[in-house]
Amino acid sequence: MTLAARTVHGFHTLLTGLGVTFKQIFKRNVTLQYPHEKPELSKAYRSLIKLKRFDELDSHDCVACMQCVKICPSACITIEGGKVDGIKRKRATLFEVDFALCSVCGLCIDVCPTDTLEYSRLYDEAGYERAWTYDLLAEFREEEPAFRERQRVQEEQEAAEKEAKRLAAEQAKAAKEAQASKPPDAPEGTT
Amino acid sequence: MRQSAGPTLERTDEADTYYLNMGPQHPSMHGVLRLLLKLRGEEIVTCEPVIGYAHRAHEKMAENRNYIMFIPNTSRVDYLSGMIYNIAFCQAIEKLCSIEVPERAEVIRIIACELNRIQSHLLWFGTFLLDLGGITPFLYCFDDREEILDILDRVTGSRLTYAYGRFGGVTMDVDQDFLVRTLAFVKRIRSRFPMYEKLVGENVIFRERCEGVGVITPEVARQYGVSGPTLRASGIGYDVRRAEPYGGYDRFDFEIPTRTAGDCMARFEVRMAEMEQSCRIIEQAVAAMPEGPIGPKKLVQRLKPPEGMFYFAVESARGHFGQYILSDGSNTPLKLKMRTPSFSNLSAMETVLEGTMVADTIAIVGSIDIVMPEIDR
Repeated sequence: MTLAARTVHGFHTLLTGLGVTFKQIFKRNVTLQYPHEKPELSKAYRSLIKLKRFDELDSHDCVACMQCVKICPSACITIEGGKVDGIKRKRATLFEVDFALCSVCGLCIDVCPTDTLEYSRLYDEAGYERAWTYDLLAEFREEEPAFRERQRVQEEQEAAEKEAKRLAAEQAKAAKEAQASKPPDAPEGTT
Repeated sequence: MRQSAGPTLERTDEADTYYLNMGPQHPSMHGVLRLLLKLRGEEIVTCEPVIGYAHRAHEKMAENRNYIMFIPNTSRVDYLSGMIYNIAFCQAIEKLCSIEVPERAEVIRIIACELNRIQSHLLWFGTFLLDLGGITPFLYCFDDREEILDILDRVTGSRLTYAYGRFGGVTMDVDQDFLVRTLAFVKRIRSRFPMYEKLVGENVIFRERCEGVGVITPEVARQYGVSGPTLRASGIGYDVRRAEPYGGYDRFDFEIPTRTAGDCMARFEVRMAEMEQSCRIIEQAVAAMPEGPIGPKKLVQRLKPPEGMFYFAVESARGHFGQYILSDGSNTPLKLKMRTPSFSNLSAMETVLEGTMVADTIAIVGSIDIVMPEIDR
């Protein structure tokens, strides 16, 4: 190619490129003006974990089994708890997550035996301090005594029901035994 | 390659040469790479990459935690193909411990990995053009890339550092909407390729800066263990997906694009062709998506791997990514060594950059698509 031909070809390619950008002017804007507009969070959105509220308990179901504490690669979960007075169900008395350390891998959620952990929809996090510790029990703390009372009543009820069932079963068994020990009306094998 | 910060500036023994530090804080340098260039005028006499600025000891971390606790680390080794690395680690452990993966999980993994590969190539495309001084293409390809990130975000919940894989499956199932959007994206990116070709591939300035620049000969590529698109641009059609099929890749029909020139332009063309091949794999995978479980019901966390040495390799967006696991039979690896493609590709720069001009350095180093966190780990 001669220099002239190359120059013409070069200009042509540049103009083609310009044509592409020119067409783009008439297209829809794709950027989102962040602080004023917020993106729609995806359904699988990962963020800080939170404790799920179960309908049948009207509370969380963290039994302080420490599985999530053990599996957390960043060691950002602190849990205290276990047996509490009055009820059989184990309860967490402290559940803190240092979100500054968390890498949002979701292993704690996968490992939870009671499925009480889930992702929150916490979105824009910014601050002036390095401490990012969240108290996940904060929303449950006030209602905890009420929950324990409910739980205690329920457990007592269940225990009573169980006891009644046991007694009924025992009685039935005794009655059956009594039936069996009675001499049969007809000799066996005739029926 | 030097691993610690060496002399910043020193008088060379030859009177007409001098040292120039390119990086680690150079605006056009990728991440924190430092090139110690010995120059004669504008010509590079020797080039010495200095690495280690992004070292986070991922391999050491693996020695101090259970296998499963290493999952979030994997994406952070190479944040641009985080999904491929994440899945690769799971696949390695599955092979090591003979864990069965349901077919549906395998297909989901392939779709996710190929989307991730396209995403990585698109980002490379944008930043490579930025290196060369073209800002516009960056905006176009980030528009496309955003779509991939949104699609993956819907199933994985994260945009870059996925912790999607679990031993024996994946964390979350995909729905019909995911498949529809993936196919729509494939259609969209296909319609964008001619536009990219017009905007960049044919551009005279781009061609002048790329053609015949930074030629990596097949011999040099072999000597340094160069892999990935950089190797295929030198005429060697080696792809782990084809050479040692893993994770069900052997079921799909795709080509290994190669070029023989070995220059920046060839590497550009190979990557563009590879995106098209990834699209083909995705289409076939979506069509072949079986029903079924996506992994074990309960999280597999207590592993009993056999004792001994174990190697597993996958094809990442940058090349041959291998994991070498030394197991003592416990739930913690004795040693986890990662063979990362960028490291070998960068090593070849010592030879390739010799005799080239300073202005071409950025184009050449940019064209091999290095990711510094992957090199330093």
